[in-house]
Amino acid sequence: MSFKERFILNFIEDNRWKYLLDGLSNTLVITIFALMLGVTLGFLVALVRVTHDKTGKLKLLNNISKLYLTVIRGTPVVVQLMIIYYVVFATMSVSKIVAAALAFGINSGAYVAEIFRSGIMSIDAGQMEAGRSLGLSYKTTMWKIVMPQAVKNVLPALGNEMITLLKETSVAGYIAIQDLTKGGDIIRSRTYDAMLPLLAVALVYLCVVLVLQHFVGKLERRLARSDRR
Amino acid sequence: MIDVRNLEKSFGDVKVLRGITQTIQKGEKVVVIGPSGSGKSTFLRCINLLEQPTGGQIFIDDEEITAKGCDIDQVRSRMGMVFQHFNLFPHLTVKQNITLAPVQLKLMNQKDADKRAMELLGRIGLAEKADEYPNMLSGGQKQRIAIVRALAMNPEVMLFDEPTSALDPEMVGEVLDFMRELANDGMTMVIVTHEMGFAREVATRVLFIDEGVIMEQNEPKEFFANPQNERLKSFLSKVL
Repeated sequence: MSFKERFILNFIEDNRWKYLLDGLSNTLVITIFALMLGVTLGFLVALVRVTHDKTGKLKLLNNISKLYLTVIRGTPVVVQLMIIYYVVFATMSVSKIVAAALAFGINSGAYVAEIFRSGIMSIDAGQMEAGRSLGLSYKTTMWKIVMPQAVKNVLPALGNEMITLLKETSVAGYIAIQDLTKGGDIIRSRTYDAMLPLLAVALVYLCVVLVLQHFVGKLERRLARSDRR
Repeated sequence: MIDVRNLEKSFGDVKVLRGITQTIQKGEKVVVIGPSGSGKSTFLRCINLLEQPTGGQIFIDDEEITAKGCDIDQVRSRMGMVFQHFNLFPHLTVKQNITLAPVQLKLMNQKDADKRAMELLGRIGLAEKADEYPNMLSGGQKQRIAIVRALAMNPEVMLFDEPTSALDPEMVGEVLDFMRELANDGMTMVIVTHEMGFAREVATRVLFIDEGVIMEQNEPKEFFANPQNERLKSFLSKVL
């Protein structure tokens, strides 16, 4: 079979390209919502951890946060995904996409939390002291002085986590979601041709990552304004 | 205005301050000297509770700031602090550095704060740096802007923690000149420094702290000409 015939068989016949397009759409939806949840969750957990370390307050929340980090980082994301869908939501009718977004968001939050925490800790203690010495509260100093610098410092790591998250959603097929990976796999099972569908899937992931990288790079350059000498 | 009673501070098992009692009146310029590790910076940092004392009491304008429930942010907004390493906010422009606190604390609106910032910058001849970021500036410029940032809050007292120790030698003068100007304007100042010439010239009183206690204090002329304490004598013989 020529390449052209294989291409037609895998993507054109029976509109099989739709498996990839629908899969990509599911992958993106899951990634975007998981990302929003993960960043929010990670941000809050990091704040709790840092505030506890610096002031000794929030002891209970800190312990909960530590437990969360240990459990989430200590178990595979596929297992977490299946537990959430087949155990936690076993008796509820929740859409698979929602369950997946929750699972990946909760998972990503643990990693984002440690990224944010390392960013906050990278800021010299003198910055907090200078803010407090002017009469600003802990909260205002954190928000206006420490955080903006911390976020700038962790942007590369955060971009990395976004890319990781996007690719991790490829295990969504375990709860029978037709994401991009599953879409390619379905084509393979129909056409008995592994190479073209899987290469296509890989190429699509790569393109999405390139777009992500582009925007993170842009943001980095914008935030680096104050570094220019 | 500042009343410190039997102040103690330990870091773990290390006792840094072992009972300091000191009253500083409005308008005084008190210079604190002493060997490194003597506790002089810790003493200064206790005055605005950047360090939490482990014993004793501190009163600012008769308000006990070491008491439970004291609104320390409110008290700090009346006390300026200048750090050895400037601690300017690198992500903000010079002008934003100066206006952040007064605007956040709703003491001024942004427009008035900007105007006041430009006035203060004009006074130190750095008005044209208003929209630049701190890392474009020299150490001396940074420190003078840090002083201006504290002044923008209209403080009643200024605390200086070795303000010239991180500067290249040729930049020490411009910072000391500005501090001298402040002193002449009648600002109450507490200054931890190694600049003995400055202490002699500007101080109304000099304290010598060693091993966590005030070993000697006097007006500067007597202090330097006629030291009593043996440790002070040996310290002065090394630094003068």
